Amino acid sequence: MSDRVRIIERMEIPKGLRAIFGLPDVGLVGTIAASHIISKMKLTEVAYVKSELLPPIIMLEEGLPKAPIRIFGGEKLIVLTSEIAIPSSSIYSIIEALTGWIWKKKVQEVFTLGGLPVPNRYEIEKPKIFGAASNKNLLERLKEKNIQLIKRGFLVGPQALILSFCSEHGIPAIALLAECFHNYPDPEASSIVIQALNRMIDMDIDISELIEKGEEVRLAMRDMMRRTQAELSRMRKSHEYDIPGYYIK
Amino acid sequence: MRKRRSIFDILRERMEELEAIAEEMLDQFVERPSWDTSSQSLEPLCDVSVRSDSVIVTADLPRVDPKSIRVSGISDDLIEITAEMKVKINFEDFGVTHRRGEFSRFSCRVPLPVPVDISRARARFRRGILEVILPRKLGYEIKIE
Repeated sequence: MSDRVRIIERMEIPKGLRAIFGLPDVGLVGTIAASHIISKMKLTEVAYVKSELLPPIIMLEEGLPKAPIRIFGGEKLIVLTSEIAIPSSSIYSIIEALTGWIWKKKVQEVFTLGGLPVPNRYEIEKPKIFGAASNKNLLERLKEKNIQLIKRGFLVGPQALILSFCSEHGIPAIALLAECFHNYPDPEASSIVIQALNRMIDMDIDISELIEKGEEVRLAMRDMMRRTQAELSRMRKSHEYDIPGYYIK
Repeated sequence: MRKRRSIFDILRERMEELEAIAEEMLDQFVERPSWDTSSQSLEPLCDVSVRSDSVIVTADLPRVDPKSIRVSGISDDLIEITAEMKVKINFEDFGVTHRRGEFSRFSCRVPLPVPVDISRARARFRRGILEVILPRKLGYEIKIE
């Protein structure tokens, strides 16, 4: 792990947990899902990211300073999320440090929650869920749970780095991505990824509140979406729409 | 003697200049508040996409009364979108207690990048998203021999 990004632990974190990433990306699908999971499972802050690569921002909660990129935990899992758009220039180092830390903590497996932008999202009644993974066995697990695989195509941003760094470290990692709006907060897509996560790890996180409060969530996430959108443009997120070049089977 | 620059060098430099301008515009876009307490309005998230025959403007309008949505042409290359919220909201609804003010509407002006025929525009509102379809102005058709 580079010295420029450090993970500061607020308490001892047991080994062998599951880790769930919900970082800002298209439709803020992962961030909204992470925040819902944290609130439903009453997870508390266990660690945070300290880095000179981040803008000088703190989050004030009840008047006290908190780091914008934090790790929340409970008995069985930890959730890694961010309250600010992660600058495109530092995303590589931040995710490299987070996955390195996860590897040291001997995390059992990683799930990264996010969206797959579709231009005609407002014509879609129920977004479809897709999966990708860091190894072949995990792809089989996705198939068993009837989650369609993204067989070929580009991934850009947090999901791309999480999958590739986890694969390098030999950490089992699965990306669960629901069809979503590119630049509008999409709580409905977040509820779809939570449902898929429930199926994958036999959990039962209730999503009814997320659906009910959908409009409220969209309103509250407006500014974060605006800033995330600007960072995604810098990451060339539109590359995900590209059709990969010709290949010989 | 000065080495003659290739067309590729010139193009690369030009691209870099354009990228720098685009980057600056992105920053300017976010470096101001998305709300205005004097007019009680919030700026909605908007998107403009240019297609071969039309320009499509969308806006995310959560918690608005669909009947109150107004789209008007301000000039040939600018439209205004306004919508009233079903219920007023204030900073405290977002947990923010150190700012004062409340909001009752969404309002924004969207510049259009290419000429359109505003009189033939149509709009629809689905899933909380407003979609305005503005047909592009027709030019001359060139016959293929």
